[in-house]
Amino acid sequence: MHTVRTRFEQAVKLSALAVLLGGLAACASAADPTAMALTAPAATEKPFPVPLQHAMCVRTVAGGEETNPLWASKVGDAGFKTALTTSLTSANLEAAAETDCHYPIDVNLLGLSQPAMGFDMTVTAHVNYKVYDSAGQPFLLETLDTPYTAKFGDALVGVQRLKLANEGSIRESITAFFAKLRDTTPK
Amino acid sequence: MLAVALCLGGCAAPVFTSVAMSQPGDDALDCTALHQQIADNTAAGAAAARADKRTENGNVAKTVGSAIPYVGLLVAATTDLSNQDQVKARALADRNERLAYLAKQKGCTP
Repeated sequence: MHTVRTRFEQAVKLSALAVLLGGLAACASAADPTAMALTAPAATEKPFPVPLQHAMCVRTVAGGEETNPLWASKVGDAGFKTALTTSLTSANLEAAAETDCHYPIDVNLLGLSQPAMGFDMTVTAHVNYKVYDSAGQPFLLETLDTPYTAKFGDALVGVQRLKLANEGSIRESITAFFAKLRDTTPK
Repeated sequence: MLAVALCLGGCAAPVFTSVAMSQPGDDALDCTALHQQIADNTAAGAAAARADKRTENGNVAKTVGSAIPYVGLLVAATTDLSNQDQVKARALADRNERLAYLAKQKGCTP
């Protein structure tokens, strides 16, 4: 009886250790711009105002952090810029040339709120979007806080789950920004 | 093991809302109110930046502490990756940029 109990305890400990190591022992990688970008909007979605179409561009992105492979996954400025530009292109908002950009966008990534560890991981992206008109006046100033939860089943490895949560929170942020753009009335 | 399991289930970052750049009623602010808000935000932003630095230093110490056998995981679990103070400091700086723009539009003297 005692031997069976001891073996059971060992099995439980080894299983728990395997889960923990699976969650911890991996290198962090930066968020993937493709996974943060939006695909073409559905036909049922409210269209963007005509003056914005093919008239926007991402001028600057600031506040991002590069990923240290030995630490937690982060979102860098270049990755965010690529994701937002790709999303603008998919939505027919991206200007064909710099001279056609009448509504430049400046992005300030205020920060990502990440969990230290966890089964389900929720990351919240805090982002300021500043859109200017061709006269340089602020046209839309939006502060958006968008959470996204990566479930334990989405990725067994913790650092990978955190990366998915980062990407999801940025995707949600761009989605919310686009919703605000749809409600604007540019001149 | 129970402590670790509890920790893994409950190490979520605190939920908070960023200070909005543009807020309802901004256009109605007079020069005195604008200058007062800018001064208050500057002080609050500096305090948040200092708090963020302290959190960063604490996280470095916890990362080192995470190498301690047995309790290392619990130490690592207390790492604060919420970036709450960083977000606050950056949001207040952007808010001030907006208020300064409004002050200029209204012809307020610095």
